[in-house]
Order: sequence, then C-alpha cells, then structure tokens
Amino acid sequence: MLDTAFLVRRQAPGPWLSSLCYAGGLTFGLAVSAALLVQAGVPAGALADEFLIATFLTSDGLAQTVTAALPLVLVGLASAVAMRVRFWNIGVEGQLWLGAVASTWIGIGGTGPDVLRLPAMLLLAAAVGAAWIAIPLVLKLRFGVSEVISTLLLGSVAFLLVQHLLFGAWRDPATGFPVTAAFGEAARFGSLGWGQLHGGLFVVLIVAALIWFVLEQTRIGFYADAVGLNPKAARAAGLPVSATVVGLVLLSGALSGLAGMTIVAGTEHRLNQSVGSGYLFSAIVIAYLARARPFWVVVVALALGAVFTAGSVLKVFYGISEGMIVLVQGTVLISILMSQFFSTYSLSRPG
Amino acid sequence: MDFLVGWIAIVPSYATPLLLASLGLIVCERAGILNLGAEGLMAVGAMTGAIAVLSGVDPWAALAAGAAAGTALALLFGIATVVMRADHTLSGLAVVAVGLGLTGVVGRPYMQKTFPGIASLGELFGIERTTALGRSVAVQDPVTLAMPVLVALLWWWLMKSGSGLRLRAVGENPAAADVAGIDIQIAQLGAVLVSGLLCGLAGAYLCVATSHVWVEGMIAARGWVAVALVIFARWNPARALIGALVFGSADALVPRLQAIGADIPVYLAMMLPYLLTLVVLVASSIAGRASGEPSFLGRIYLRQDKH
Repeated sequence: MLDTAFLVRRQAPGPWLSSLCYAGGLTFGLAVSAALLVQAGVPAGALADEFLIATFLTSDGLAQTVTAALPLVLVGLASAVAMRVRFWNIGVEGQLWLGAVASTWIGIGGTGPDVLRLPAMLLLAAAVGAAWIAIPLVLKLRFGVSEVISTLLLGSVAFLLVQHLLFGAWRDPATGFPVTAAFGEAARFGSLGWGQLHGGLFVVLIVAALIWFVLEQTRIGFYADAVGLNPKAARAAGLPVSATVVGLVLLSGALSGLAGMTIVAGTEHRLNQSVGSGYLFSAIVIAYLARARPFWVVVVALALGAVFTAGSVLKVFYGISEGMIVLVQGTVLISILMSQFFSTYSLSRPG
Repeated sequence: MDFLVGWIAIVPSYATPLLLASLGLIVCERAGILNLGAEGLMAVGAMTGAIAVLSGVDPWAALAAGAAAGTALALLFGIATVVMRADHTLSGLAVVAVGLGLTGVVGRPYMQKTFPGIASLGELFGIERTTALGRSVAVQDPVTLAMPVLVALLWWWLMKSGSGLRLRAVGENPAAADVAGIDIQIAQLGAVLVSGLLCGLAGAYLCVATSHVWVEGMIAARGWVAVALVIFARWNPARALIGALVFGSADALVPRLQAIGADIPVYLAMMLPYLLTLVVLVASSIAGRASGEPSFLGRIYLRQDKH
C-alpha cells in the first residue's frame, strides 16, 4: 500500500525538522484534547483560564501546580531512567503504592526517634520500590520474561495488597473508612507556607539534580545510551552492560517508591485509595515527551502538574471525570508518536 | 461437591473474554504487530455494550456494538503502527490510555446501572437444573458454546489455509512476503482490526453477558492477562483455549469462595490470577524450545531495509 510510494528513512533528520514535527504533534494532540473538553461541556472560553491562568499565573494556582508536580517529577524520572536502557517500567504505580505502604508503616507506627522518622520513610520507600522492580528485572535477565507484562501485573498485585491493608489491619478505627489513621507531625513534611507546598520540594529538587548529574555529566549516561541503542555492540566494546541495566532499573523502582512517600508524607498524611492512581500513564508520557532527559522531565512534569490542577477544578465545576486526564495523555502521546513519521521518513520517487 | 460443580459451571464465562481477546491478539501478532492495547480495546467494548443495552438495544446487538467500538479504536492503533510506523509498545500504551480515559469520561452516567444480559442455555432450551450436569450446562450461554468452534476455525485458517499462511509470512519475514506479492500494510491493518473486533467483543461479553452492570475499571488488567496468555499459547489458538480455561478457573475461584461464605482474605486471593500469569510466563520461558514468537514481532518493516 504505502511502500509502493517508496518510503525512505531519512539518514539524519535535522533538528529543525524534528522539532517542527514534535511541535506539530503536540499542538495537534492538545487541539484534539481541547475539542474533547469542549465536547464534554467545558465552555471554550474557559479553557485558557483553567489551564493557563489558574495554574501558573495565580499564586494559589501555581502553588497547587508545583505541589502536584512533585510526585510527577519522581515518576517521570523513574520512567526515564528505565527507558534510557530500553526497559519498560509499566509498573510505576505498583512501586509507588508499595513505597507509600512502607512509609505508612513507619508513619502510623511511630517507631524510632522523631528526627529520623522522615529519613527512615524515605529510605524504606526507596528500598521497597527497588525491591518490587527487582522481581521483573530478574525475571527478564534470567528467564527472558517480558518486563512490560510482569511490571504491570505486579502493579495490580501491589494495589490489591493496599486494598487488603485498608480493608483490614489498617482501616481507620475512628471512622471505619478504608483509610489509615493520620500520621503524626514527625511523619509529615513541613508546610512551606505557600498553598499546600511542603518540604518534599527539597527532596525532589535534590533527587532531580542528582539524576541530572549522573545521566548528563558522568559516563553512566553514556553507558545507558550505548546499552539502549545496541546492547550487543555495547558489550563488545567492553562497557558494563549488566551493571548499567541493573543499576538504572533499580533506581527507577526506588524513584517510584520515593514518589509514593512524598504523596503520603506531603499531601495526604495517610494512606488512602487514591494515593497512587493516575501515575502510570503520567510517568510514561512525561518520560517520552521529555525524551528521557532529566531537565525536560522536570519541565514536562510541571506542565502535567498544571493539567492535574486544572483537572481537579474542571471536576468540581463541570463534572468532568478524572478519566479526562488519562484521555488527554493518551491523545497527546499517540499524536506525537504519529508525528514522528514525518521526520523519520521521506517519500522518494522510485529511480 | 456443590462447590466444585458451581465452580466448574462458571469457569467458561470467565474464560470466554480472556479467550476472545487472546485470539484477537494472536491474529494481530502473527502479522508482526505487537498489540499491548488489549486493555483499552476491551474497556471501550465493555462500555459501548453497556450503553447500548441501557439505551434499549437488544443484548446481542450490544455485543456487536462493543465489537465495533473496539474495531474503531484499533483503527487508530493501526494507523499509528502500520501506516505511520510508530513504536508498537508506546502506541499500544497510548491506546490503553485513550480507551480507559474515554470510558471514564463517556461512561460516567451509565455507571452501576444493572441491565438484563443474554439468555442462558437453560432459558433457551428449558434445561432442568436438577442434576449437576444440568446445572452446569444450563448456566452457559451461546457465546461460550461457540468458543470451541471459533478456536477450531481460527486454528484451521491460521495454520492450514493459504491466506493464513500469508498472514504468518508477514509476521515472520515481511521482506520475503513482500517479494511474494503480499501487501504487507493491508495484511497488518486487517490483522489489527480483527484484534480490535475480538477484544471489543471480549469486553462487551464481560459486561453484557457476565456482570450485567458497567463500572469504570471493570476490565481489571484482564487485557494484560490476555497479552500474557498469547505468550503462554505460543501464538497458537488451540493452546489459547487451554490457557484461557486455566486462567478462567483462577479468576472464578474467588467469587465462588465468597459465594459459599468461605472466610478467606479476599484481596490476597484476588492476586492469584496475576501471580499465576507470572508463574506461567516463567514456565513458558524455561520450557523454551520453539516459543513460537513471530520473528518480526514488534519491529518496523521498511522496504529499503535489508532484513
């Protein structure tokens, strides 16, 4: 059908063409999303208000956007570091849930001195997240089991574990609702006095800076790209292929676990059923749109934080379901994927 | 004994959606297109089926509507992967996002409303439910009854017919198939649409024939289990039937245990199908030999490349 027109892969698409196609795909995706929102009952005139002014240009809105972006930065980085070595971590939500469970265990237990409460939660959440992704990692390296399926299924398992705890041992004794008791002060990030923004901001900034340094300034980022492009060639060149893959994939799980910790310790102050929902596709979309580059992950996470903020407003005022955020993410993702066609290939006459 | 009969009787209705979806995926992946979108295709099928029945459409027509909705979403996936040659994994995930998002937005007013399903064999033929056999047969419906026939037909078409051979050639060696005069894009697009049709039908069956109610997220990773089932089945429809029965049994166990009032940790028991899937994937890979995976699965074919 199409090959008869002689589709040819461009040798090296120029930066202008690539950027143009990317921008075109993004614009088209956003336009379709805007049309869907209007179709769902949001007045067209309110879109700019809700998505731009109320999310970045007002103080309250900006605080809300930055707060929402904190876990998004972490899951975006989690997806990105794994994507760099071509490991599909589709189980970000599962690792996030278990990170939240681990922090909650310390948070409601109140074990240890108060000063060490938050550091202990951070460490345990990261360790549990890394441990949860270690299973698909071993299954892939040892048995060749596709990590796409194993990470996703373990995400479902983790969510069921949360349900088991919330409807069982951890159910709030005061109200009987499937949420845990609230954390003590020592297990919460302090408020920064600007909206809901909390001390988790510093954790996220330090982690993002570290990841940026490791991937962009040390040879590890170079190893990762070599492994991602061609593991066989990387091995033949004497690069530490296995160590790079294992290290970055475990880092991916640890980052997801941390994201869970920042949510329960930063905004929710307890474990409930909505802590981890909505992060699976967010992580993939952020990492893909940011081309797995740490700096751009932060930028895209902020933009998506704005979408989350606007989403919660639209839900209240126009009755738009949270599904709209997932729909927008899917629409933008597939639109940009398709737009790559125009920069990757050219049509040439047979001759 | 009563428990065992009750359990065996409902296994087919749990196995049917898994089987339908994995048969669709087998056709698609045999043509070389890795389809991870099953979860989204099933979600759209389930919601469309529910909306159709709730708007007064005949349940059988609702099943068809669900299949049509799955096909429509699969067309988007086909345009992305076959025509625009986008990455199969990311496109599949995007389809899941679009499908799940769409059902959340559109289906909201139709949540939690029960409706009548399709007639069971017991109602159709007046089978007495006095014996164990009668009870087991009476609760089945015509769709489950048609499953072995569908599997046999699909197996024969894929493995024994000329056009089935051509489809498999596209997934194994598209360059050779291209030289032999097969239109690669048409074959792949057709296969993608078949997967949308069957996954949409699977979702609609789950909703219209089994649960008789639609709730958001009701597919609950069954689409992903179907993706894994394809690997277990080694891309062979006949083996998919066995796999679907095994997974259907695990899936049906928890509601059966609940029905007899057994005191079990429900949420831990619900992990069973997912853990079983992982075990089966590991076992399939240890068994190793002849995994049956199409050689060109998930890769982009371009005539200029030397394969």
